Amino acid sequence: MVAVAAALAMSGGPASAAPLPRLVSMNVCTDQLLLTLADPEQILGLSRFSRDGWQGPAAGDLARYPVLSGGAEDVLLIRPDIVIASAFDKRSTRELLKAKGLRLAELAVPRTLDEARQQIREAGDITGHPDRAAKEIARLDAALARARQAVSEKHYRVLPLSRRGWVAGSDSFVGSLLGETGLRSAAGDLGFAFGGFASLEAIVNLRPDFIVVSQAGDYARDDGQAFLLHPALERFYPPQKRIVIPERMTECGGVMLADALDALTAELRRVGR
Amino acid sequence: MSVEAVIVTNEDAARRRIGATAALAAVVALLALISLGIGPVRLSPLSVAEALFGGGNEVSQVIVREIRLPRTLLALAIGAILGLSGASLQGLLRNPLASPELFGAPQSAAFGAVLVIALGLADVRSYALPVAAIIAAFGSVFGLLSIAGRNAGLLILILSGLAISSFAGAATALVMNLATNPFLVLEIAFWLLGSLEDRSFQHVILALPFIIAGAVMLFSQRHAFRALSLGEETAQSLGVDVGRLRLFVISGVALGVGGAVAVTGTIGFIGLVAPHLMRPLIGHDPGRLLIPSALAGSALLLAADIAVRIIPSTSDIKVGVLTSIIGVPFFLYLIMRERRALGGGVA
Repeated sequence: MVAVAAALAMSGGPASAAPLPRLVSMNVCTDQLLLTLADPEQILGLSRFSRDGWQGPAAGDLARYPVLSGGAEDVLLIRPDIVIASAFDKRSTRELLKAKGLRLAELAVPRTLDEARQQIREAGDITGHPDRAAKEIARLDAALARARQAVSEKHYRVLPLSRRGWVAGSDSFVGSLLGETGLRSAAGDLGFAFGGFASLEAIVNLRPDFIVVSQAGDYARDDGQAFLLHPALERFYPPQKRIVIPERMTECGGVMLADALDALTAELRRVGR
Repeated sequence: MSVEAVIVTNEDAARRRIGATAALAAVVALLALISLGIGPVRLSPLSVAEALFGGGNEVSQVIVREIRLPRTLLALAIGAILGLSGASLQGLLRNPLASPELFGAPQSAAFGAVLVIALGLADVRSYALPVAAIIAAFGSVFGLLSIAGRNAGLLILILSGLAISSFAGAATALVMNLATNPFLVLEIAFWLLGSLEDRSFQHVILALPFIIAGAVMLFSQRHAFRALSLGEETAQSLGVDVGRLRLFVISGVALGVGGAVAVTGTIGFIGLVAPHLMRPLIGHDPGRLLIPSALAGSALLLAADIAVRIIPSTSDIKVGVLTSIIGVPFFLYLIMRERRALGGGVA
């Protein structure tokens, strides 16, 4: 964040009179931010996973944007005004780009809803569209209010469960998101603060009201998904006991959080019937 | 293996064999019961027994019958087929260092299964996985025996086995390398470690038909192994078709190991260790060694799978890792013992 602030200070504030900055994104999460906040003309390249179905339908025609290799070479050739990367991208690539004089905005993955709002605001400043960022934050807050409303009358105890039995703890992003809506996470009962792997036995024994998963359906592409379809789990958690929030909405904690919260609201209505 | 060991069958030896086999069966049964009783959720032996027969509350019933029982059955069956495969290969090649994992069979089977997972061709709980694993395992053992030739010495067998398992490993690494989905790479890496955790009856149904078919094929050749231990020519004069025997053993091992690997990932060294533990008790008759080796394999895998649930660790140890950690030193010990046969001798 300091790097971004410094970058903005040096460029004299792109939001003002100067033309809008030309941007590339190195990461699916920053892709989401750019697609929502920047003008299509500003985007000179998206991450190499940008077309893998991570973006919502709102992203529009993704084929119009070039796809980056993930390495430094093509970015050096494009020479954008700002490279937007995640702190999780390859360090060597980021260092190289910086050494070659490119301006890097490195965004962390938010841990809480406040950090998510802060990040959207920051991305609005980088792209030169603070107005759109404000609108996105308002959309997020509205979605949160709707989710709280849906949760309020019920005191559900839920367990966020991912592939292979990974449980997001209450200190994790998903945990704090659920907490913000008023749902009680059962992860704490397993002794997980940030998160950990839970065995099937432990989950079955814990008996939360619902499990929160990232996909519905009966197809297991790999062992990790097969875990969630184990007969023992399906017996206690058939589809009407599973709250489904697609992974792409929660993984980045950016502009798609509002969609995640709306999905949660819709799912609560469905399972609450 | 001396000729006497095969021919001499006095009553004492027979009694000892039967006694040892019965004791072994009892150990396997005991371990299976312990395996049902152990898990992350503490259940008393009484409530486990109750749940097993449909009593007690629903949660403990599901834990015992749908989570622990398939795990125990898989350990039992897979341990047995690995032990049987090892004993059969050792009988076929008249060589105590033969075993599926040294010939690259599980590694190749894993490659077949990983390929199916990576290409996303089918649900991981479908028959596509064992079939691919079996084809790959068959290819590897068949390839090895073709490369090494009929009367290959230990050195050639081990070297070709090393080459084939390295190749299977490299091919698997290539598949992981080319996979575009980062989750998938992680899944494959986990899967390769070999685990019986959280399996279900779907997995049992998936693996068991192949394991049984493989076991029947291998066991049906017990008399041939015995004849073969007298030498290939003697065996042929006794009416053993050695070519057919080889094909039977290769197919049996491929069916068993492929079916096993498809649901658990690679679990190694049971096939090498089990027959060796049995030889001092049973003698060197490769025909008589089959059933005790299968029982020993079951006991070893059950014990290892119980151990990974008991050993305190921050994250769960995979049973395939444990069997390798124990198996490799054992392998080294065998190499030391077989040093002369390997041609080095004591310098």
